[in-house]
Amino acid sequence: MEIGLTHYLVISAILFSLGLYGIITRKHAIMVLMGLELVLNAANINFIAFARYGGMNIEGHIAAIFVIILAAAEAAIALAIVLNIYQNFRHVNIDEVDDLKG
Amino acid sequence: MTQDVVLPLSILTLLIPLLSFLINIFFGKKLGKISGVIGTSILGIDLGLAIIVAFTKLTSYAGIQVIQNRIEWFDLGSLQVNIGIGIDNIAAIMLIVVTLISFLVHLFSTVYMGDDRQYSKFFAYLGLFTFSMLGIVIANNFLIMYIFWELVGISSYLLIGFWYEKDSASNAGKKAFITNRIGDLGFFIGIMILFFTYGSFMFEDVFAGISSGVMPFDNPTMLTIAGICIFMGAIGKSAQFPLHVWLPDAMEGPTPVSALIHAATMVAAGVYLVAKVFAMFTADALTFIAVIGTITAFISATIALTQVDFKKVLAYSTVSQLGFMIMSLGVGGYTNGFFHLVTHAWFKAALFLAAGSVIHAMHQAMHHMHDHHTDPQDINNMGGLRKTMPWTYRTFLFVTLALSGIPLTSGFLSKDGILAGTLAYANLTGGWHWIIPVLGFTAAGMTAFYMFRLTIVAFHGEPKTEIAKHTKENKLPIVLPLVVLAFMSLWIFYSPNPIDASKGWFHKMIVQPKSAVPDAYQWSFLINNKTEEAAPAVHQAEGATHTAEITAENPHEVTKAGHTTGHYLNKFQEETHHFHYIAMILSLLIAGSGILLAFLIYQYKTISADKLEARFKFLHTFSYNKWYFDELYQATAINGLLVISKALSWFDNYVVDGLVNLSSYVTRGFGYIVGLFDNYVIDGAVNLVANFTGYCGNKMRKLQTGHIQSYVVFVLLGILILLYFFI
Amino acid sequence: MMDISDLIKSISLFKPETTLIVTFMLAMILDMAFKKSKNIAGYIAIAGLVIAGIFLFQQTGVNYKAFANLLVIDSFGQFMKFIVLMSSLIIIVFSFFSNELHNAHTKLGEYYTLIIGMTFGMFLLVGSANLIMIYVAIETMSISSYVLAGYTREVKRASEASLKYVIFGAVSSGIMIYGISILFGLTGSLNLFEINQFLSVNNVATLPLLLSGLMILSGFGYKISAVPFHFWTPDVYEGAPVTITAYLSVASKAAGFAVLLRFFKTGLLDSVPGTSEAWQLLGNIDWHYVIAVLAVLTMTLGNLVAVWQTNMKRLLAYSSIAHAGYLLMAVSVMNDNGVSAVLIYFVFYMLMNLGAFFVVQLIANKLDSENIDEYNGLGYRSPVLAVCMTVFLISLAGLPPTSGFIGKLYVFSSVINSGYIWLAIIGVLNSVVSLYYYAKIIRNMYLRDVESAKTKLVFSPVTIAIVLMLAIPSLLFGVYFTPIVEWANYSMNIFVGN
Repeated sequence: MEIGLTHYLVISAILFSLGLYGIITRKHAIMVLMGLELVLNAANINFIAFARYGGMNIEGHIAAIFVIILAAAEAAIALAIVLNIYQNFRHVNIDEVDDLKG
Repeated sequence: MTQDVVLPLSILTLLIPLLSFLINIFFGKKLGKISGVIGTSILGIDLGLAIIVAFTKLTSYAGIQVIQNRIEWFDLGSLQVNIGIGIDNIAAIMLIVVTLISFLVHLFSTVYMGDDRQYSKFFAYLGLFTFSMLGIVIANNFLIMYIFWELVGISSYLLIGFWYEKDSASNAGKKAFITNRIGDLGFFIGIMILFFTYGSFMFEDVFAGISSGVMPFDNPTMLTIAGICIFMGAIGKSAQFPLHVWLPDAMEGPTPVSALIHAATMVAAGVYLVAKVFAMFTADALTFIAVIGTITAFISATIALTQVDFKKVLAYSTVSQLGFMIMSLGVGGYTNGFFHLVTHAWFKAALFLAAGSVIHAMHQAMHHMHDHHTDPQDINNMGGLRKTMPWTYRTFLFVTLALSGIPLTSGFLSKDGILAGTLAYANLTGGWHWIIPVLGFTAAGMTAFYMFRLTIVAFHGEPKTEIAKHTKENKLPIVLPLVVLAFMSLWIFYSPNPIDASKGWFHKMIVQPKSAVPDAYQWSFLINNKTEEAAPAVHQAEGATHTAEITAENPHEVTKAGHTTGHYLNKFQEETHHFHYIAMILSLLIAGSGILLAFLIYQYKTISADKLEARFKFLHTFSYNKWYFDELYQATAINGLLVISKALSWFDNYVVDGLVNLSSYVTRGFGYIVGLFDNYVIDGAVNLVANFTGYCGNKMRKLQTGHIQSYVVFVLLGILILLYFFI
Repeated sequence: MMDISDLIKSISLFKPETTLIVTFMLAMILDMAFKKSKNIAGYIAIAGLVIAGIFLFQQTGVNYKAFANLLVIDSFGQFMKFIVLMSSLIIIVFSFFSNELHNAHTKLGEYYTLIIGMTFGMFLLVGSANLIMIYVAIETMSISSYVLAGYTREVKRASEASLKYVIFGAVSSGIMIYGISILFGLTGSLNLFEINQFLSVNNVATLPLLLSGLMILSGFGYKISAVPFHFWTPDVYEGAPVTITAYLSVASKAAGFAVLLRFFKTGLLDSVPGTSEAWQLLGNIDWHYVIAVLAVLTMTLGNLVAVWQTNMKRLLAYSSIAHAGYLLMAVSVMNDNGVSAVLIYFVFYMLMNLGAFFVVQLIANKLDSENIDEYNGLGYRSPVLAVCMTVFLISLAGLPPTSGFIGKLYVFSSVINSGYIWLAIIGVLNSVVSLYYYAKIIRNMYLRDVESAKTKLVFSPVTIAIVLMLAIPSLLFGVYFTPIVEWANYSMNIFVGN
C-alpha cells in the first residue's frame, strides 16, 4: 500500500483528537499539558505532510520548526505556572481549581 | 505679527476672564482679599492681549473686511452647522472697550467692595461677565452669539442681584432677566427664520443669501420681519422702549456693576448686534429701528429731568444715550452710531464710577458719624462735594461736558455726527420723518440740562447735610479709573480735528458695510456707489424711494475702507456732511441753553425750581414716576395674566369639575378595571421581560463553571455548531 | 525572493519594533544593574515607547509589504499600533500607582519588560500578512500576558487566573495552528496575498475551507473575547492585577481586531470595491453571517451576565465582552465603513475603559476591595473621582454627550447603511440592558450611604490628574469628534497589495 498524503492527515487528525481528549478529561495539570503538546504536534504533522506531498513547498517545514519552538516556549511558561499553582493550592488537580466562577 | 496669530490671540483673550471666574469661584474663600488682585491682574493681561489684537487688525489689516475662520461643528448629511469667530474693525475696537472698562472696574472694586462679605464671588462674576461679553464681540455667527448673549444675561442677573438679601435687589435681578428674555424670544425667532431660509448661522452666509435675492418664505416683508425680530434682542438687551423698564431697577446692584454692565458693555451689546448685522436690514426695518431709538431717547430724557437718586439719573441718561445710538443706526449713520457707543462707554463708565466714588465717600462719612438712616444716593443730601472730593469733581465735570456735547470732547464729535445724520435722513426722506431730528435735538438739550442739574446740586454750593460735609476724597484705586476714563473722553484719540471727526482714523476704520439687501428694498441713499462713479450720478436717487426704479449703478462693488477717492461712500454720507455745521451750531445752541437753564435754576436760583415744579405739576409727576411704565405693565400684562389665570381657575373649579364629578363614577369603575389590567398585564409584561432577561443572564452565568476543561469543551462545541450551521 | 533593497527598506520601516526590542533588553539589563531603584525599568519603558511612537509617526502614508510579504506597513496598521502604544503607555503610568503590584514584589523590572514584550508582539500582530507570522505574534503576546496575569504570584486567584489563561490560550492557539495547517494544505501557501491569489483562481472544497476558517477564527476570537471563545475572560480579568486586566481589555483586543480585519480583507477579498460596498469574499461561505452570529451571541451573553455581577473587575470583564460584540457587528458588515467605525470606536473605548479600570484600581488601593458595595457613597467621599467614573460609565453605556455615544453612533450607522437592520436592533436592545449595570454603579455612588460618616477619600493630585486626563477627552470627543473621524477615514484602507 502506498503511504500517501491521506494517511498522514488521518494520523494527525487522530492525534489532534487524542490531544483534545487528554486536555478535556485529565485531572492532573501535567497531563493536560501533554495533551496540548499532542495537539501542536498534530499540526506539525500536517505541515510536513503538505510540504512533502504538495510540491516540496519549504514553507511547511519552516512553519513546523516555528511551531516546535513556540510549543517549547509555551510549555516552559505553562510548567512555571503549574508550579506556582502547586505552591498556592498544594495540589495540581485542575478541576479543583475553581474559585473564580460565575 | 501675521494674520494667523490674530485669531488664536483673540480666543486667548476670550478665555482668560473665564480663568478668573473659575479661580475665584472655587478658591475664593481661601484667597480672601487676594482674589481682587488676581481678578484685576488677569484682566490687565487680557487688556494687553486685546490691545495687541486690535492694533494688529487696525494697523496691518484694516483693508481686510474681517479676519475669521469657520469650523464645522457637526455634519449630519442634510444639516451642517458651522461655527467660528471673526475679528472685524468694530470687533477689534469693542475688544479694547470691554477689556479696558472691565479692568478699570476690577481695580475700582478692590476698594469699593472691600468690606463686602462676598468679595471673591463678586470678582468671579465679573470675570464670567467679561468672558460672556467678549464671546458676543468675537462671534461671527448667530449661534455662538446667541449662546454668549444668554450667558451675558445670566451674568447680569447674578451681578444685579448680588446683594440678594435685599428683596429689591433680587426682584431687580429677576426683572432684568425676564425682560431680557422677552427680547431674546424675538431674537431667537429671527435667528430661526434666517436659518430656515439660508441654511446657515454664519453672518456671511446669510448676507450672501440675502444679496442673491432669496427671501424668507419668498416674501420680502418677511425679511423686514426677520430684521425686526433680531432687533428685538437689541430692544431687550439695550433697554429700548418698551423693554427699558429693567435698567433703572438694575441700579440695585453695586455701582461698579452699573458701570461695567449698564453703561459700557452689556447694554452696548444690542447696539453692537445691530451694527454687526447691519447689512441685512431693509429700509422698513431701519425705519422701525430709528423710531424706537428716538422714542427711547426722548422718553428717558424727560424722566431723567426729575429724578433725585444719583444713580437713577445716570441710568435714565444711559437709556437715553442708547436710544441715540439706535436712532443713529436706524437712520443710516452707522459710523456715528458706533462712534457714540465707544465714546459713551468711556464717559458713562466714568460717570458711574464717579457716582460710586461719591456714594462710597457718603457711606464712609455716615459710618464715621454713626448715621444709618440717610440715603447716601439722594442728591438732596449732597452738595459742596466740589471742595471735599476735588478729583472726583473734576473728572465728573469733564465727562459731563462730554455727555452734553461740548467741543473738545469726544462726546461732542459723536453726538454731533448723530444729529447731523438725523437731519440728513429727514431731508432725504421728508414728511413725518422730521420728527426724528426734532426729538433728537430736544433730547440732547434735556441731556445737557439734567446732567448739569446733577452736577450743580451734588457738587456745587454748600453741603446740605452733615454727612456731605464730612466726605473725603477716595484712594487711588478709585480715583485712577476716573482719571483714565475722563482722559479717554478727549477728542484727540479719535480725530485730530476737534470739530469734524470724519477725517480721523476712527471714521476711516469704521465704514458702513455694504448692504446685502437687494436695492429694491433698501434706501437708495444707503447704497454704496462705485469709487469711480462721479457724485452727480448719485443725485438721481432723492427722496424716499422704495421703488425698483434704481439706476444702472452697480452696488456690488465694495469700497475699501478709507479709499473713497474724495467722493462719499453713499448719498447719506454726503448729506450728513452737508448738515454737519448746521447740526453743530444747533446742538451747541440747544446744549448751551440747557446748561444755562440748569445754572439759572439750581446754581443762581434765579428761577425757582419749586415754583416750576408747581406750575408743571402734572408733567413733573408724570416724569418722576417714569411715565408710569411699570404701573402700566403691571396693570396690563402682569395683571392681565393674573386675571386670565383667575378666570380660567374659576372655570376649572365650577364648570369643569362639575362635569368631571359626574363622569367620575363611571370612570372610577372603568378605572378599576384598567388598573387591574395595568397592574397585572402591563406591569406583568414589563416585569416578565425584566425577569426573563435576568433569568437568561443567570442561566448563562452557569456556563462559567470555573473549570477550565469545561471551557475547552464549550469551545469545541461552539466550533462544531457553527460548522454545522454554515456548511 | 527578497533582494537587498527590499531588506534595507524593510529594516528602515521596522524601526518602531526595533526600538521596542532595544527597550526590552535595556529595561531588563538596567533593572538588574540598578537594584535600588524600584521603577527604573518603567521609566526606560516609557522612554522606549515614546521613541517608538515617534518612529511610528514617521511612517505616515507608507504602504509597503515588508520582509518579503511577512509584514504589511500601512496606515491601518499605524492607527492600531498607535492605540496599542497609547494603551501601553497609560498602563505603565497606572502601574506606578498600583498597590497590589508593589506589595507583591519589591522589584517590578520584569513586569515592565514583559509589557514591552507584549507590545512588541502586538505590533507584529497588527502588521502580519503571513499565517505563521500571525501565530508567532499571537504566541509572543500570549506568553507575556500569561506571566503578567499571574504576576502577583502569592495571590491565589492570580495564579488560578494565569493557569486558566495559559491552558485556554494554548488550546485556542493549538486549534488555530491546526486550522492554519489545513488552510496551508488547501492553498499551498502561508502568505495571505498568495492565498488570495490561489483562492481567486481555484475552487476549493467548502468544508475544509470553512473548518479551517472557523478554527483560525477561534484563535482570533479568543484574543477578542468573542463568544464562544470568551470563557477565559471573566476569570482571568478577575484574578489578574487590575493594571493587566485593563491592558488586556484594550490592547490585546485591538490587536485581535486588527488581525481579524486584515485576515478577511487581505486573505479572502475578491476584488477592490468602493468605500461602502461590501467586500466580495472568495469561497462559497457567507462570512457576513458567521461574524454576525458571533456578534449577536457575544453582545447578548456579555450584557446579560454582567447584570448579575458584584465584583467590579468581573463586571467590567463582561462589559468588555459586550463591547467586543458591538465591534464585531461593525466587522460583520465587511466594508470600509465598518473598518472605520471599528477604528473610531477603539479610540474612545480605550479612553473610557482604561479610565474606568483606573478608578477601580484607586478604590482598590484605598479600600482593598473590588466589590460594588464599596462604591456606596463615593459621590461624597471623593467627588472628583465619582464624577469621572460617572463620565466613564455613561460613555461605556453609549449615552450622549460622551464619546462612547459617538463610537456607537458610527458602529450602528455602518450596520444600518449596509442594511442589517435586525442586527442594529439587537445592538440597541443590548445597549439598553447594559445601561442597567452601569447605572447600578452610579446609583451606588450617589444614592446609597449618603449620610454615613465614612471618611473622605483623598487621592494624590497626580492620580486625580491622570483620571481627569482620561475623562475630559471622553467628554470632549463627544462634542468635537471630527479629527478622530478624519484620521479613521484616512486609515481605513487596508493595504491589499495593489
